[in-house]
Amino acid sequence: MSRQALAEAVGVHYQTIGYIERGQYNPSLDLALKVARFFGLPVEALFSLEPFQPLTDEVYGRKQ
Amino acid sequence: MTATRYDRRMYAVMNDRRAAAAYATVPRRRLIVGAHIALTVTGVGAWISTVFGSGYGLLVLVAAVMLPWMLLTGLLNGSTRGLLELRGRMLDERQLVERDRVRALAHRITLWLLVATAFGVGAYGVLADAPLQTAVAPVLVGVLAAHWMMPLWVAGLRVQDDLGDDEE
Repeated sequence: MSRQALAEAVGVHYQTIGYIERGQYNPSLDLALKVARFFGLPVEALFSLEPFQPLTDEVYGRKQ
Repeated sequence: MTATRYDRRMYAVMNDRRAAAAYATVPRRRLIVGAHIALTVTGVGAWISTVFGSGYGLLVLVAAVMLPWMLLTGLLNGSTRGLLELRGRMLDERQLVERDRVRALAHRITLWLLVATAFGVGAYGVLADAPLQTAVAPVLVGVLAAHWMMPLWVAGLRVQDDLGDDEE
């Protein structure tokens, strides 16, 4: 999966995916829902008001 | 509204990555913006001197800076992916927000530049006891150039580096 493919699927410039990843742009609700639909996940699995825990912490139950 | 053939052509030109290495990093983009400002000041200054001064010798300088100036303008537009050149329907939501920010910031900077210019010219008139009528047209041309180019300079300085290749 590339940013380009995701960008084309949700109808934005590929740079915009990078901006969202880095937290430099908050997508509109419409775009957030499109990204969630693309991955087949609920939107709260991809976007949150709080920073996400690293995956290894969640898998191994490590507390920070 | 659907994209026209012109829109698609411009989009392809503005997103052409062949020169991407030239503006891939913040220092390179700053260098390009600095050089573009210097060439603009040189070119416009020479043009003003030619038109409002005496003699056509400086027209050579205008001609000399024209080609590198166009080249740097192209690089800046490429670095912004045509943020200021493409029609709104060819930009996504993040780019439209960024374009508004760039224009607002450029407007604010130009406003202060105008204030400084007005005070500077006024002070020169008072201190040098010189008539200001002759200075109005050259100053107006200089301010027009700054007003015209400021959004491109601001946009060029605000561009973020691309993330690395993410193919898996």
